Amino acid sequence: MKIDPKTFIHDYQLNICIQCGTCTGGCPVKFRSPLNMRRLVRETHLTDNFSSISKRAELWACTTCSTCSLRCPSGVKNVELIMGIRNFLANKGEVPSTIRDALENTLLQGNPWGRFRDRRADWAQDLGVKIFGEETSETLFYVGCAPSYDPRVQSVSTSLVRIFQKAGVDFAILGKKESCCGNEIRRMGEQALFKKLAKDNTALFKKLGVKRIITISPHCYNAFKNEYPDLNIPVQHYTQVLVDLIEAGKLHLSKELGISVTYHDPCFLGKQNKVFDEPRKILNSIPGCDFIEMERSRERSLCCEGGGGRMWAEGGTEGKRNGEIRIREAVALAAKTLATACPFCLLTFEDSVKTSGLAEQIVVKDIAELVMEALEVQ
Amino acid sequence: MNIAVCVKRIPKTAEADIFIEKDGKDIKKDNLVFALNDWDGYAVREAVLLKEKYEGEVIVLTIGPEESKEVLTRCLAMGADRAVRIEAPSSSDGHLIAKILAQATKGQSFDLILTGVQAEDDGWGQVGVALAQLLGLPHASIVTHIEVENGKAKVRRELEGGIEELLEVKLPAVLTIQTGINEPKYVSLSAILDAEDKETKEVGLEEIGFTSKAPLDATIDQVSFPPTGKMAEILKGTPEEVVGQLTEIIKKKKG
Ligand code: SF4
Ligand code: SF4
Repeated sequence: MKIDPKTFIHDYQLNICIQCGTCTGGCPVKFRSPLNMRRLVRETHLTDNFSSISKRAELWACTTCSTCSLRCPSGVKNVELIMGIRNFLANKGEVPSTIRDALENTLLQGNPWGRFRDRRADWAQDLGVKIFGEETSETLFYVGCAPSYDPRVQSVSTSLVRIFQKAGVDFAILGKKESCCGNEIRRMGEQALFKKLAKDNTALFKKLGVKRIITISPHCYNAFKNEYPDLNIPVQHYTQVLVDLIEAGKLHLSKELGISVTYHDPCFLGKQNKVFDEPRKILNSIPGCDFIEMERSRERSLCCEGGGGRMWAEGGTEGKRNGEIRIREAVALAAKTLATACPFCLLTFEDSVKTSGLAEQIVVKDIAELVMEALEVQ
Repeated sequence: MNIAVCVKRIPKTAEADIFIEKDGKDIKKDNLVFALNDWDGYAVREAVLLKEKYEGEVIVLTIGPEESKEVLTRCLAMGADRAVRIEAPSSSDGHLIAKILAQATKGQSFDLILTGVQAEDDGWGQVGVALAQLLGLPHASIVTHIEVENGKAKVRRELEGGIEELLEVKLPAVLTIQTGINEPKYVSLSAILDAEDKETKEVGLEEIGFTSKAPLDATIDQVSFPPTGKMAEILKGTPEEVVGQLTEIIKKKKG
């Protein structure tokens, strides 16, 4: 399928841009790369030579955080433009080699890291979790790629399983049959692969009679909720589920943690999907958890740079990473824990804690891990 | 410039758990994913780059069952013009594979025949060289660079110790291609879907006139895991404990 860049003007409404610069002003990578959204919109609109624009390395610096398009007063589809250009490039095979590998791995093994498909549920082996196919449930706990394979994020998956079991939630996982949700795949420009994943996953969920989906990652949540065309199954991020369980009295958070904690809103949970209150409600329900709000919070949360395929990109940006800036902001608030609710945020912050040399002063935790600690499960 | 590229579909084993079949003659493959042999991917990309420079046609050939068609489709998506699948039982006898390929390519006007240096699964590294011998053509193996000029190919070969050899080979010739000779492009799913509509010719051994019933040079009697080395020591514990033990060992060895 050939893509004609001339359709971008209409598809992404480039002609209604008033060149106000709001997009560039709010862009979290504007100091770290030559990416300039305002210019990109105008140049793509007026150019006779699109292929020279498409060759710019900074197109891969965008994290698809969506700050630009959410703030644009005219309704230009900025992030869709980036994804459209990346799709144009992917179809021509012209993507950076690390992105290429991530996409090829996903087609072959169902995850961007190319880890063995049969090992996807190894983390759950001794947890007594139901697996679709062997047993059934109306609730699918969709784990996702990073929480299945990354040892740091597996701890979030394990915590949630224990929490759900403790609260008596009936659920099952897909085990080896789970494949990537495709959210990042679409953002790396592989629209056709995204469509295939969406189609295959939707068919699988329906065949298994799934009535509700719970996700760990806000990225999977976003894909299922907003971008799967025929899913029609209610989707919840786990923070929404935990709030319900706490409010229904099914989770007794009894252990005093004695920590001061601040919270980083993940872009795909917060500004893009408006789940702001649930994570805060959970933190406020944990005994001995002194919650401090960050200055840049909720819609203004500073992107950690883990989205938009940046987990698989190399370089393209310079200077201090936003993750480090964020860690410093948290330390300046005298918070001893930086909590978040996204596998990518968790991983980028774990890196940043180390590179900034602040590992003695602050720890990074997922909200699910804090809830688990407060549950005092042996 | 017409180029034939011989390719193979192989199981991906790098990340996988490997088990041996009951008869002990092969590994279990039902839980593995299959793909185009890595070396062959570089060979196809190189052929397409040469075609872009010197014009002509790129034909890809494979020997194997129905499923092998998927790697041909991938090659077509990469820019090959035509594809041929030769239906034959799989064999780990490199000589037999070369004989079939020689029968399929002889008498055709190829300027170059490319193969990968070796296959990821068997790793014999024989087919390209044996094919050249059977066709009576000059060859170069482990090729890392190709330039074509006046009916000759100037090629660079990788030797041990980082040394390179520069050769001039008269065309037509057979070259076995080393990884890293080029930067493979991403092959998008939409390109693969488009390529599925292109025709793949399917032929049997008899159709290409291959009748040899010569006994096989090599058959596999047994596969086994390498014995566990005595030198390997697996450290156990939490990451912190393991790092502690490791630093102790490094300190000791250094001293
Ligand atoms: S915010 Fe919207 S209107 Fe303003 S420059 Fe950016 S794209 Fe144009
Ligand atoms: S999506 Fe985020 S990173 Fe990308 S251009 Fe917009 S504001 Fe910048």
